[in-house]
Amino acid sequence: MVQRSEHARRVLDLAREEAEGFGHRYLGPEHLVLGVLRDGGSRASRALETRGVELAAAREALGRLADGGVVPGPRPSDAELLGSLGIDLEAIRRMTEQAFGRTALGWAIREATRARGRGGGRVPRTPLRDPPLLITQALYHAGEQARALGVGVVGPELLLLGVVTDIQTPWPRCMRNRWTRQLHASVGLPEDYRGAAGPLLQAFGVDLDRLGGALLAELEAGVP
Amino acid sequence: MGEAASSEVTQVAAATSSQDPEVGLAAVAALRGLVEVLEALQVENARAKGWSWQQIAARLGVTKQAVHHKYAGRRFGFRR
Repeated sequence: MVQRSEHARRVLDLAREEAEGFGHRYLGPEHLVLGVLRDGGSRASRALETRGVELAAAREALGRLADGGVVPGPRPSDAELLGSLGIDLEAIRRMTEQAFGRTALGWAIREATRARGRGGGRVPRTPLRDPPLLITQALYHAGEQARALGVGVVGPELLLLGVVTDIQTPWPRCMRNRWTRQLHASVGLPEDYRGAAGPLLQAFGVDLDRLGGALLAELEAGVP
Repeated sequence: MGEAASSEVTQVAAATSSQDPEVGLAAVAALRGLVEVLEALQVENARAKGWSWQQIAARLGVTKQAVHHKYAGRRFGFRR
């Protein structure tokens, strides 16, 4: 199994912070690009910076994508929404965990949000779970590339390479269903959202083939 | 709660009471997402304590068939 390096986990944390900063209630590949840039110092961030993709400019570009409806504008968090109804989400989470245990709560969350063949799932998501992770394809491609290269650990370079491959590869059929559309709609994304890293990098005229090639060359040249 | 945080909540509350469907419906969806998890937990808890579907349905205010259709055959994943 391919593990993520400490560095890659930091990039993911920064990506989450970037999503939060935009008031986005999901984590998408576009936030991963911002996470790589904000982390800085990696070969992945240098590969972006040499192509004119700087953090401040990339944030502005994502802001423009929000204005254009490619990604949503800022939305209140579930905790804020429930707070407006007088409900303390954290208190409920804490008390439920105390009463039933973390395992039981995790099971109930999976049951409540699980997609079902007949009649679909119950709810696309719940405030008791972290915002939806819409970077699974990018992570999958990063893992596949790591295996192909014989690398045991995914770092920022492979994460970015995963994002680039994700942009260039159509999402599989299993990710184009009613369930996914409902999930996207619930966080304000357009139904046909396939990640916004493509439009984001396109705004800087980045040649994806060359970026992917450069990252691959970096990875083949050295240890991640 | 700090003054700033309190002010933020007041702002959101004001947004909700301003009848903006974007915010109001999102709040309801969040509430539903919360309720579904709590219901699953409580139904499983009741079943573990030997409650019948009839008893559970009566407390939830739905028919026995409704609660049975929703929960029977599910892979109850925990027993305390």
